[in-house]
Formats: sequence, C-alpha cells, structure tokens
Amino acid sequence: MHQKLSFYVDRDSFLHHLNPLTKLTLVLTLVILSFLGLSYWLPTIIFLFIIIPLSFLGKVAQEFFNATVKLLLPVVGFLFVMQAFFHPDGTQVIFSIWIFDVTVESLSFAYLTASRILTMVASFLILLLTTHPSDLMSDLTRRGVSGNLSYVITSTLQIIPQMQVKAGTIIDAQQSRGLETTGNVFNRVKAVVPLVGPLVFGSLVEVEERAIAIEARAFTAPLKKTSLREIPDRAAERAARWIFIGVIIIAIGLRIWLL
Amino acid sequence: MRIIESIRKDFTTMTWVLIPVAIAINVVIGQIVVVLRLPVFLDSIGTVLVAVVAGPWAGALTGTLSNIIWGLLIDPNALPWWPVALMIGFVAGWCAVLGLFKSWWKVMITGFIVAVTAAIVSTPIAVYLFGGITASGSSFITAYLLQTGRDLIPAVLSTNFLVEPFDKIATCLLAFAIIGGLSVRYLARFPRPENVEIDKTERRTQIIIAIVVAVILILIYSYILVNLLGS
Repeated sequence: MHQKLSFYVDRDSFLHHLNPLTKLTLVLTLVILSFLGLSYWLPTIIFLFIIIPLSFLGKVAQEFFNATVKLLLPVVGFLFVMQAFFHPDGTQVIFSIWIFDVTVESLSFAYLTASRILTMVASFLILLLTTHPSDLMSDLTRRGVSGNLSYVITSTLQIIPQMQVKAGTIIDAQQSRGLETTGNVFNRVKAVVPLVGPLVFGSLVEVEERAIAIEARAFTAPLKKTSLREIPDRAAERAARWIFIGVIIIAIGLRIWLL
Repeated sequence: MRIIESIRKDFTTMTWVLIPVAIAINVVIGQIVVVLRLPVFLDSIGTVLVAVVAGPWAGALTGTLSNIIWGLLIDPNALPWWPVALMIGFVAGWCAVLGLFKSWWKVMITGFIVAVTAAIVSTPIAVYLFGGITASGSSFITAYLLQTGRDLIPAVLSTNFLVEPFDKIATCLLAFAIIGGLSVRYLARFPRPENVEIDKTERRTQIIIAIVVAVILILIYSYILVNLLGS
C-alpha cells in the first residue's frame, strides 16, 4: 500500500531549472487550448508535438511513458470504448453489439474526449515530473500566496507516507489477530471499523502536539517570513509567461469570434 | 467585513494543523477501501471531519486541497473534480452549523444533502469534460440510461443520484462516529465544538448505531450493484 511519494524525478535539465510558475502557466495554457475546441486535431497535435518533446527536453521521457502507459492509457482507453459505444448521437452505423451501435459520430466524439483528457493529464504529468512540490509551494509563497497554505500542502506531503506506513502496520496487526480482509462483502465491510479506528484516532492525537510545536515556532506571528530556498526567476521567463497568457487570451478571443 | 472576520476566526492554529491530517485521512482511508475492494469511495471522511469541527470554509479548503494533492500524488485524473470536494466540505460545514450533526439520524440528513450537492456539482464536470461517460464504473448505468433514450444531462444526474447517497451518508456517519469517539476536552480546542454536542449518556449508543447503519448502507449498495450489473 505504500507508494512513492511524488512523481518528481531529480534530474539536471532545462525544464528542471525553469521557474515553477513558468511551467504551471505553460501547463494551463496547453490545457485551455486543448479544451477550447478551436480545431478537432489540436489536442492530438499538442500531445505529439509539444508534450512528448517536452518530456525529452526534461530528460524524463522514460518515466513519462511509464506513467502514461500505467495511469493514463487504461483510463483514456476505457473512456474511448465506453463513449464509442454509448454516445447517443450518430446515424452512420459502423457495427453494433446488442442494442449498442458504434457510429462514425460516436467514434469521432470518443476520440476528441480521449485526446483532450490525455493532453490535460499528460501536461500536468510533465509539470509534476520536473518540479518538486515544495519548490512550487515556496515559489508561490514568495509571490504572495498565504504561507499557511504552503504549510498545509508541504506537511500533507510528509504526513501521507507516514500514515500509509501506519495503515500497513494496522492491517498486518489486525490480520494476525484473525481479522478477515478478503472473502464476502460482509466480512470486508466489517473490516472497515477496526482498520480505520486506530489509524484515525492515532493521527488525531498528534494534532494537538503539533499545534503547540508550531505555535512555539512563530507560526501565527504577523511578520514577513524569509525562505531558506532561493528559486531563480529570469527576465526571459517573465516574458515567456506573458506570452503564454497572451496566447490564452487570443485563443479565447478566437473562440468567441468563431462562434 | 464581518464575514471575513468570522471566517478568520475559524482558522486557528489547530485548524491549520488538522487540515493536513484530514487530507491524509481522506487519502489513506480511500486506499484502505480499495484494498478491501468495497464499491464505495469513503474518500471525504477527513473533509467532513474538518467541516464539522472547524466550519464550512475550512471544510471547503480541505476538500479542494485534498483533491489537488490526490491528483499530484496518486492519480492526475482526480484533478478536474475539485469543485465537488469543495462543495462537500462547504455544505457539510453549514449542515453542522445548523445543528444537523448531533445525532445519527440528523447526520443521515446531512449525508443526503451532501450527496445531492455532490451529484449536482459533478454533473456539469462529467458532461462538459468527459461527454457524460467518465472513467468511473458507475458510467455503465449512465450508458444504459442513454441507450434507452434518456437525454445526456438527466442520465448523468440520475446516475449520480443513485450512486452518491450511499457513499456520502456512510461517509458522514463514519465521521460522526469518529468525532463521537474523541474526548470533549480535545474537541473544545477547535473553533466550533458546539456543532457536535452529543448528550453524554447517549454518546455510546449513538456511535454504535451510526457505525451499524453505515455498514448496512454499504451492504445494501453492494447488493444493488451486483443485481444491476448482473442483469
């Protein structure tokens, strides 16, 4: 049940050295472009000619393809098959099974949805593979996002793996006392309480201690806090971000104009 | 300005420290449910917990961040559903403020209201982002309704109305049982302990009833699913 904490891969590449906000803006631009519906093939083009080259540029192509095959293809494939069969529109039937028809229209609709979802998730994957979550948070904090918010996110990232280890221990302990976690539904539902109880109460008890600890370290002090990590931000990147925002505005304008 | 002031009062240090733990509870319980191969999600117990003891705004924040972190760490496909998680926390919080979190049957009402909200909020996301058929197993029901001539939005809505109540009522009952198991002294350190004042003599019975009802609900739901998919 314990799994790797984040997608981040520590490499030395152009993408890794970019400012996190630049990458975030780029990802949002790609997602908005693929969902605006300016052109049928746009999501596919973005995936093939922007996202895949980016994964090579960030030296994370191997991990990117692994994650895509394991996480994305099952979901996108399922989506495609379901929509190809079940999308209600369409008259040109290609073939049919039972009462469900696969039509030219449903196939093209299924492909559009699948390619959009693929592009959306893949572009976030590029961001996650090349950006450490705490770098992203410290950069956002420096730009005025509340420090409490980055406390929540960074400490969640620490607590989850600890709790997964704890959950593993609890499952083992209860199984060794004879708790059944397999078999019929009744057994499995019954197992929820003895597994969830110890886990939740154990973690909630720590909340109070942690509150005292961070209070003692000036968590609520109304002063400007300095950051240990320095994250570089070049003028070229600032310009790039404005260009991305310009592209979004032009794309939205085009969409409204074409409607 | 009074609203901002009252929101700020909910975000004490205890709230800020509880939120990460609650998000971790969401994630880890969500995974335990997967290990047990149960047909429900139960992935917002932590969100409801925060919403009840620290108010609707803290609940909404917990839900949103929970979804984002789920997307960052485990499954990027979870990202677009964050508005649903936000509304779950927000609505559960207001229900608790209105006193709907003080006994097991009131908690069931909260669960139902949360479920209706979740069903309504997730419908436009499913329709506009996924064309109605999402990657979740309940899409088979939507697909069936579509094929029998229902329109897209009613089909997605009725699927959600069928699926959500079981999950969300069970979630709220389990959150209620957890809160009931915490000491009064501990709860008093959070901003809204008055939301969960349970009568002392009844406390034990309330918790047991809540757990039993949650278990029964999940069993009924599994039974319905097996029959529906079997036919």
